[in-house]
Amino acid sequence: MHPNLSDILGAGQKPSFHSSPMGSMLGNLPSFDPHNFSQLRPSDPSNPSKMVPSTYRPTHSRTLPPPDQVIATEAKNILIRNIYQRAEEKLRSKRAATEHLIPEHGCKQTRPSTS
Amino acid sequence: MFKTNNVTSRIFERQIRTPAPGTSVHSARRFYENLVPSFTIYDVECPDHSFFKFTDDGQYFVCFSRNRQDLIVYRPTWLSFSCKGEDCDNNQELPPQVKRFESFFTQLYVKPLASCNELICKDFFLYMESNQFGIFATSTAQIQDARGTDGAILGVPSFEKITIHLFRLEDGFKLDEKVFHNDCVNLTHNMGAFLYDDLLAVVSLRYQTIHILQIRDSGNLVDVRAIGAYCREDDELFINSSSQLAGNRGDLVDNGTNHDQPNSNNSFLSGIKQRLLSFIFREIWSEETDQTQRVQCLKKKFYFHFQDYVDLVILKVQFLDRHHLLIKFGSVDVGASRNTDQLPAFFAVYNMETTEIVAFYQNAADELYLLFERFCDHFHATSINSMYMNFISSHSNNIHALEQLKSMKNKATSISQDSARHDNALLDTISSIVF
Repeated sequence: MHPNLSDILGAGQKPSFHSSPMGSMLGNLPSFDPHNFSQLRPSDPSNPSKMVPSTYRPTHSRTLPPPDQVIATEAKNILIRNIYQRAEEKLRSKRAATEHLIPEHGCKQTRPSTS
Repeated sequence: MFKTNNVTSRIFERQIRTPAPGTSVHSARRFYENLVPSFTIYDVECPDHSFFKFTDDGQYFVCFSRNRQDLIVYRPTWLSFSCKGEDCDNNQELPPQVKRFESFFTQLYVKPLASCNELICKDFFLYMESNQFGIFATSTAQIQDARGTDGAILGVPSFEKITIHLFRLEDGFKLDEKVFHNDCVNLTHNMGAFLYDDLLAVVSLRYQTIHILQIRDSGNLVDVRAIGAYCREDDELFINSSSQLAGNRGDLVDNGTNHDQPNSNNSFLSGIKQRLLSFIFREIWSEETDQTQRVQCLKKKFYFHFQDYVDLVILKVQFLDRHHLLIKFGSVDVGASRNTDQLPAFFAVYNMETTEIVAFYQNAADELYLLFERFCDHFHATSINSMYMNFISSHSNNIHALEQLKSMKNKATSISQDSARHDNALLDTISSIVF
């Protein structure tokens, strides 16, 4: 509890003890320059500060996410996604042409032989 | 934070600092910049085996016996020695143990793999890193004058029995096997099989079926699906029941006659062939809006080539993810040959869950090449478990590699102005890297 200050500071330097208004926080720790920490006013422990970190207040709501938004990783990898996208694009641009062609999907109906 | 190249400070850094998330493998691999080979040892007496391969994680060294019947696995236990003294770097004297094979490899076990009339395929080996399972293949000799049987295509050789073996490499315990009878699977350099995580795809060339097998942690090889003549599990039941009603199965209904007829005489195309043809049809149909133009287009692009499309055979398969396959189609003449990369090839993306063809690329389409240029890493479908694959430079994630690829492509296409040769050059670039 009583370190040898001349050892710490090196030979040739004398520790200086100056009382400071920081008495309650720093105790009797030595300081090199007595004017250090002279401007600081410690907070009163009996009356703690009620400040909370400031929150950002946006000035517009154009970029608000929808209230039920859930962000999840896409299961398909980017190559598969790209392949499907191109297929969709081809289909979309020629949608009128394909309307006559697509029957109901997924139904297995026996059809009479056409041969 | 600046990086140092000094091996001692790198070791200290490793002690006190954790690497960025997901880069621990990469940081460990950087040590190879400091550790370089400095000696080569010649004339080491080795056992008389045919040495095959190290596993990717460096845990096992796989060899086969000279008679190609046994599997011999070694554990690489590299010799280490230390040198004490002032001038260690220039001291060329190595300890006498370096001349012995056993200093570097410890034999774990010798297990018989092939029975008397079978031989191990010494080009075939797949390794499942997560469980340290190894997959080997044995086959009997090729049958000459293979007769066409029900479902088999002609022009492909036949082997009486091909077996895929699943082994636990840690102790050589055989876990499971899958046998193909009177079949042909292209086993050289793993061409007929593809391992993705725990899913194994095996292409049966003769019966034109893609077998999807799952390797379970318990060591079982489970059949998941067989894509070929049937796409869904209940297709066979449905087709058989409806054909009995309609009676239009042609020569297959007559027992014992005309089994050597080629498949194209069969009026009923099912399974993946049907999916492919209908996809091509709909693609061409949707290109034109005008009715007469549409029919002309179909005649020219579809009906004129109809027989060629029907004659396409599945050559190779790879996974793009757990549900999608990239299938390479080609002509049956190249079915069993090794160098398939020079001839026209067609690629299709097939969704196993919806059993639909998603995309079809004819013979070096620019679209496929562009996809490949941008997403090359995803064509080399690797398990999410192998962390070292996250840091491989490819031309999709490295601008210098991309420059190199583009200059290769330009060189190949600038020599030939002819569009057919342009396609070939493009196909070379794709085929050399996709599979």
